[in-house]
Amino acid sequence: MGKYILKRTLQMLFTIAVVSVLIFSVVRITPTDPITSITRGKPASEETIAALKKEYNLDQSMPVQYINWVSDMFHGDFGKSYQYRESVASIIAVRMMTTLQLMLQSAVLIVFIAIPFGMLSASKMNSLLDQTATVTSLVLVSSPSFFTGILLMLLFTMVWPVFPTFGTGTDFISNIRYLALPSIALAAVHMALIMRITRSNMVEQLSANYIQTATAKGLSRPEVVYKHALKNAAIPILTVTSLELSGLLGGSVMVEKVFSLNGIGSLLADSINKSDYPVIQSLTLLMVIIFLLCNLIVDILYAVLDPRIRLK
Amino acid sequence: MFGKREINLSTKGNTGTLFTIPVIVALAILAAIAFCSMFAPLISPCDPYEQDLSVAFSGPSAGHPLGADSVGRDILSRLFYGGRTTIFGGIAIVLVTIAIGIPMGLACGYYGGKIDSFFMRLCDIILSFPSLLLAFVLVAGLGRNMSNAILALGIVYVPGIARLMRSLTMVERNKPYVEALHSMCYSDWRIMFIHIVPNCVSSVIVQITLNLGYAVLDLAGMSFLGFGVRPPTADWGAMLNEGRSYLMQNPLLALLPGLCIILLVVSINIFSDGLYRYLEPKQRKLPSFRAYERAMEKKRKKATKLQAEKGGCEA
Repeated sequence: MGKYILKRTLQMLFTIAVVSVLIFSVVRITPTDPITSITRGKPASEETIAALKKEYNLDQSMPVQYINWVSDMFHGDFGKSYQYRESVASIIAVRMMTTLQLMLQSAVLIVFIAIPFGMLSASKMNSLLDQTATVTSLVLVSSPSFFTGILLMLLFTMVWPVFPTFGTGTDFISNIRYLALPSIALAAVHMALIMRITRSNMVEQLSANYIQTATAKGLSRPEVVYKHALKNAAIPILTVTSLELSGLLGGSVMVEKVFSLNGIGSLLADSINKSDYPVIQSLTLLMVIIFLLCNLIVDILYAVLDPRIRLK
Repeated sequence: MFGKREINLSTKGNTGTLFTIPVIVALAILAAIAFCSMFAPLISPCDPYEQDLSVAFSGPSAGHPLGADSVGRDILSRLFYGGRTTIFGGIAIVLVTIAIGIPMGLACGYYGGKIDSFFMRLCDIILSFPSLLLAFVLVAGLGRNMSNAILALGIVYVPGIARLMRSLTMVERNKPYVEALHSMCYSDWRIMFIHIVPNCVSSVIVQITLNLGYAVLDLAGMSFLGFGVRPPTADWGAMLNEGRSYLMQNPLLALLPGLCIILLVVSINIFSDGLYRYLEPKQRKLPSFRAYERAMEKKRKKATKLQAEKGGCEA
């Protein structure tokens, strides 16, 4: 087991190294000159340009810039933003909480609504409830998260104004109400997917022979579904759910823009539109690291649950 | 040995049909959308780029059947032209994926070894970015416009197709016909592209139609963030973004393009699902056989219930 964890961790570190080179070079091939982004297109004198180049470490060669960037990141210094003229780390730190809470609330929705509904519609296969759930999930999967967000916004401003549709509160508790609609919009696609997967896994288990045996033994329906079928369906459901949860990070970019939230998703969108490269490269690398860490944890959990994986 | 039921079970004459009711409806919607976008210049009531501030935010009228947007452009015409951009974009993304992914998967599956591990590591790197993040970074580097967004999204989808093609090729490679072709001194290229590819088409095509739906959604997302189609070009994603600022004045500006996207993607998904059921032999069943299966299932359940009521088995 320890060997397996070590192997996966080393693989992850290698991937992070390659990804960091990739991000750094892709951001550098840009046709926009960094100095233009810093001065916001205003003409600058020779001295100002030289000073700016020195301030942002642009006067060094590419490999040196890369090494500086990586070694600074180890010290918690993510560079300096072109548009805010502030340290990237502090900008991210301020905005991180909103995104994390948004992801947390979406995760709660996914785990406590999508999975039970998927199980329910599997155990009542072909009923009205099952068919409604199937059609709803098809529509939700096909609706872009930003459009779901806009629909929710319209619904909750015009028809039923109980949730705020704009901005954020001051602390965690007040944020729960502010982030209610964004988290529904963010979770919708993933909820639909996980409901479908839960349903199909449960249906598969429920049509297995051991279920027939259990029913013939005289066990009650809830016992059959929740004690026997669920245990066997749990592993694939858990894997997909955890992968979807780490995928929430990418989806937050659009949802945060729709609801004008100050999270790292909207920060990334703004930075790309304003060619703020220090923010783009550090933020992307950070997101990739979080994503890979989540995947690593899932893989390890999976190996714990299913011994066949680690023996391979 | 071949009773009446057995003949029903054999695949001969049991091809089923692609044209179930949901698929027919989906195809009809797709055809309507394709017609409106293809003949947009002929059926549009107005020029989609002509601004007329005097009718800005106006509701439906004779001149503008669905009203006009914030600068007085006709919404219906923009929806028709937007369909062109959206569908073209989706297809272009899928083509980029095919052009890169299929040869890559073929080479990996056919040659194996170092080529295989190199390209598969490359796919792992692409997959180590959460959802659209890689596309965002590529667009940030290459420049924000539609062709770069198409290229970036095409690359994001490559691992899916490449891995599928690889596993299919690995199965085909070991079949006797490939050995026969080798013994006839056919070149690797010819074996791969003329003989192996046609045998993999049915599985790949399902994945491609599925990707088309996601491609439309993701391109709309990129345009929504301002990374894809640039204003004033008519595109459903970009129109949604424009309409978002005027939700209070006229919600139709955002609702109509959004509904068009959903309609298009739902239809593509239903079609893709139908295609999968049709091409997957396990799922291919005649309606009469499905009815037979249902009847058997009912019988089985009844028997199980009876057994349970009798007090359960001793074992």
